[in-house]
Amino acid sequence: MAAGDMVRSRAFVWMLERLVRLREPGAAKQAARNVALRSFKVFNFFCAIHLFTDYVGRASTMEGPSMLPTLANEGEIVIEDRLTYRLWPNSFTRGDLVILKSPIDSNRVICKRIIGLPGDTICVDPTGEKAPSTEHVVIPKGHIWISGDNSAYSRDSREYGPVPMALVRGRLYARVWPPSTATIFRSNARRLE
Amino acid sequence: MLKRILERFSRLRPTTDRPKKTRQSRVWRYVYWGPTVVVLGQYFYNLKTVSGRSMQPTLNPDSSLRKDIALFDRFAIHTLQRFQREDIVTLKSPENPERTLVKRIIALPGDLVKTLPPYKEAEVVVPTGHVWIEGDEPFRSDDSNRFGPVSASLIDSRMVCVIWPLSRFGLPQQSTTLQAVSPGDHPSQRAARAEFERYRWRQSRVVRSTDF
Repeated sequence: MAAGDMVRSRAFVWMLERLVRLREPGAAKQAARNVALRSFKVFNFFCAIHLFTDYVGRASTMEGPSMLPTLANEGEIVIEDRLTYRLWPNSFTRGDLVILKSPIDSNRVICKRIIGLPGDTICVDPTGEKAPSTEHVVIPKGHIWISGDNSAYSRDSREYGPVPMALVRGRLYARVWPPSTATIFRSNARRLE
Repeated sequence: MLKRILERFSRLRPTTDRPKKTRQSRVWRYVYWGPTVVVLGQYFYNLKTVSGRSMQPTLNPDSSLRKDIALFDRFAIHTLQRFQREDIVTLKSPENPERTLVKRIIALPGDLVKTLPPYKEAEVVVPTGHVWIEGDEPFRSDDSNRFGPVSASLIDSRMVCVIWPLSRFGLPQQSTTLQAVSPGDHPSQRAARAEFERYRWRQSRVVRSTDF
């Protein structure tokens, strides 16, 4: 582009006009205020997005082998539902996939399946690997028993016992990526008579 | 329509043509900034009232219905993950996710604690990622002596100082300042000596993981 074209272009003229206007009395101060206000508004907008992802729901990636075959080792995008348990704190169901802060490492967020609710009697490890298969516990008030679907590669309640419900952030609602395996997760616990 | 929008957003118009502010727009001006306020409260500092007697005499020292208001720092816990023995913290109750407790951290992972009566074992080693918490008033407190060590992930914020009542405004007593209390008979000096005694008593019940 030749220099003459640039000078005549609309964007350049617009910018020049604004610069000229800045020389009006008080205009520079006003412009600075506008820049500040606008950046606060951008910050506020990001805060609003953050609050939405914190309280309502969000898409997130998952990794780790502990939930195979329900969730792949990597490369999947899921939708977290953070609203249900907030609105109905008693809606925990056996078989739900939950997302919670790890009880042994507060930097980590883990995803496991709810096996037992308060008052249930649970066999710690039926295979007898991590605890004798005869050991049973009653889950105390306000706690849940969680377990990964891939028990060979999962650190879960078999190691650290019942987990406080207060650590639960939300439940897994659906898998959206890859599209070939997109699903809505439902509690698949069956009652055996 | 487009002209009106442009007018609304053009920055350098004279102040006289601004549209008159309705009541709704005045409310909206405050609501609009709500997300920023909430996020700052969530990640930095917030105020909370403390109810209950479990932290007597540090918080709510008299039995009146008046509740203390304290400033809590969430940045130290959420972002820096920094907490130590003797810190007063808020945490989600492990027994009821809707309740929040205010307690003092007694021991960190690996420490050996001599427990108090309701607990079934006399001594316990705090497991990884867990802490031992207790109220300052051992008889009115639902704490680790009842439900055992709690996960450090439940800790929510650290108390910085008491804001209300103004007579007790200030940081919680530090062990270093407590040692320098003069042996007078003024109520405040007696209170400080009692505080120091409780501090020594708490210390005597914990063997730090670095010490053995």
